[in-house]
Amino acid sequence: MNEQRKDILDMLAEGKITAAEAEQLIAALERAQPEAAPSLDARPKGRAKYLRVLVDTVENGEPGRVNVRVPLQLLRAGVRLAALIPPQALGQANAELNKSGVPFDLTQLKPEQLEALVEHLDEMTVEVDQPDAKVRVFCE
Amino acid sequence: MPQLLTVRVKRPDGRPIRIWVPVLPVVLVFSPVVALVVLVAAVACLVYRISVVRALGTGWRVISALPGTRVDIEQGRSAVLVTIR
Repeated sequence: MNEQRKDILDMLAEGKITAAEAEQLIAALERAQPEAAPSLDARPKGRAKYLRVLVDTVENGEPGRVNVRVPLQLLRAGVRLAALIPPQALGQANAELNKSGVPFDLTQLKPEQLEALVEHLDEMTVEVDQPDAKVRVFCE
Repeated sequence: MPQLLTVRVKRPDGRPIRIWVPVLPVVLVFSPVVALVVLVAAVACLVYRISVVRALGTGWRVISALPGTRVDIEQGRSAVLVTIR
């Protein structure tokens, strides 16, 4: 809808339509908005309930399949649980990560940032296609 | 809170094993153990200076969020399926 409104304003700026015509078109768009909204986004933000991980593999000629469904609510609860980890434990984990060649500071990872990440997971889809494996991560 | 845990294992010989675990009765049966675990967790929270109420609340939130979880792994003729309802 915003795109259509922008088109109208562009046409007005280019002199293709008059201000009155632009006003009429925008009014028509606003009238049509309640009916058009559901079709614009079939899966409204925040509606996804589960994170799905699907892995199809072929190992030694045998097909393998992993199908995991995790409620997003569980991820949110996990983030809150992670926030309870004492700083001493985080320090030790950081040291071990550094030792393994992963210079990652877990103390810089704030719960609110993780919650924002989980909130936006429903817009994410990851697909990896290999000749012997196919991985799909998405929310539903 | 989870009501039913279902475990299905398919062996390579094709014979399936199905286990249904009603969570609430099992928790009631093991309630002394559960109480002990909660007590130990509370002591650990005090040792590490974490709010006991906040920790127990978060733990309960995690348990409450478990229904709907499903893990299904198949490899060749073997398969394991775990669902929490």
